[in-house]
Amino acid sequence: MRRLAGLLALGLLYGGSLLVVQPDLPRLWTGLPRLAHWLGGAVPPDFSGLPDLLRRAAETVGIATLGTTLAAAMALPLALLAARPVVPLPALYHPARALLDALRGVDGFVFALIFVAAVGLGPFAGMLGVALHSAGSIGKLWSEALETADPAPLEAALSAGASRAQAAAVVLLPESLPQLASVLLYVWEFNIRASTVLGLVGAGGLGQELKNAVDLLDFARVLAILILVVALVLTADRLSALLRRRLG
Amino acid sequence: MLRVEGLVVALQGRRVLHGISLAVAPGEVVAIEGPSGAGKTTLLRAIAGLVPAEAGRIVAPETALVFQQHALARRLSARDNVLVGALGRIGFWRPALRLWPVAERAEAMACLARVGLGALAGQRADRLSGGQRQRAAVARALMQRAPLLLADEPVASLDPENAAAVLALLRDLASHGGRSVLVALHQPELARRYADRRLRLEEGRLCRR
Repeated sequence: MRRLAGLLALGLLYGGSLLVVQPDLPRLWTGLPRLAHWLGGAVPPDFSGLPDLLRRAAETVGIATLGTTLAAAMALPLALLAARPVVPLPALYHPARALLDALRGVDGFVFALIFVAAVGLGPFAGMLGVALHSAGSIGKLWSEALETADPAPLEAALSAGASRAQAAAVVLLPESLPQLASVLLYVWEFNIRASTVLGLVGAGGLGQELKNAVDLLDFARVLAILILVVALVLTADRLSALLRRRLG
Repeated sequence: MLRVEGLVVALQGRRVLHGISLAVAPGEVVAIEGPSGAGKTTLLRAIAGLVPAEAGRIVAPETALVFQQHALARRLSARDNVLVGALGRIGFWRPALRLWPVAERAEAMACLARVGLGALAGQRADRLSGGQRQRAAVARALMQRAPLLLADEPVASLDPENAAAVLALLRDLASHGGRSVLVALHQPELARRYADRRLRLEEGRLCRR
């Protein structure tokens, strides 16, 4: 019976998805030659004006780095409030969790769109968008790391007369530091990837150049930008993996 | 001086201790023996105020508890772990920023020297041996300046040599420091050697010896 209900739910999900997306293979087929023509025109990639591209790449890294840092500052108090061993008070714990879920639920892209309207075009809006969404992600992951930490040292501190705030600051946070730092690096790496498209809404970074090139159907330029994006993402990925390994 | 009268403790609806009465005088080491599950840990945790009593009375001075598995913060140095014992009497910001008061730092060093770990103060807890960790846990308890030391199977995971060293230390803290020591042990030969008195706990009740 349960299996049948599961199959029914899965069928509904796929049926509904097919209904709204309406995949059209013949349309893809007719579009393929156009795509091939563009790809042909994209080679060799156009790296002219490289300093401008690099400046945009630096914007992307800046948006991700400052956005993640601001997110961490916002996430720390929320993560502590949302970790049961630190704040075993449902009146604080549940609202903190709900706020983290709400922040996490809205994509950085959407936040960036709102901030572009509020503070104008440019990487600053992108950074704010990244920060707000990431605060939710970091806070949630941090609170989970704090909840799964060994409870014994915390209990020992509490039994020695420490307040929960003291025990969290002196024992729990240092004990969980490798996990917390690992989360931060992971989110930073994710944000580098996410920041490359923020330019599509005018929030700076390589995405801005990408949008301009696509609008002009300049595919040699598009390819050059994509190569830069991949290089950036791979570098961030390797660096983050290396640092996380060292933290372990 | 510790006095427990008619202590009843229930955990998750199940009665674990049935009317325990005992006393420990200053300078005295009392061992509680008994099989696993007899209620030794619950008794110590109730005296330390970590689990609530359903009935009975506990008259205890300030209490420090040495946990079975040392409960040290692995990434902190031995000294910082000992300083955790002082958190009850200092504010929030200084310890949080690692700006421990000079007097507390000196006292932590003295506590570590007392347990023979003076030279390893800066060593991270996870780099200490099992015996050293348990001695650091005793130093943390000393840092609490409590006249009553409770030790829950403090030598359960130690080799005979280290077990003897830790128990000799507790014995010495009672004899020369005037503290009362209540220690849960499951090795009768160690209890005979280091305790002034031995009590036996079985299924949550103290048995006459």
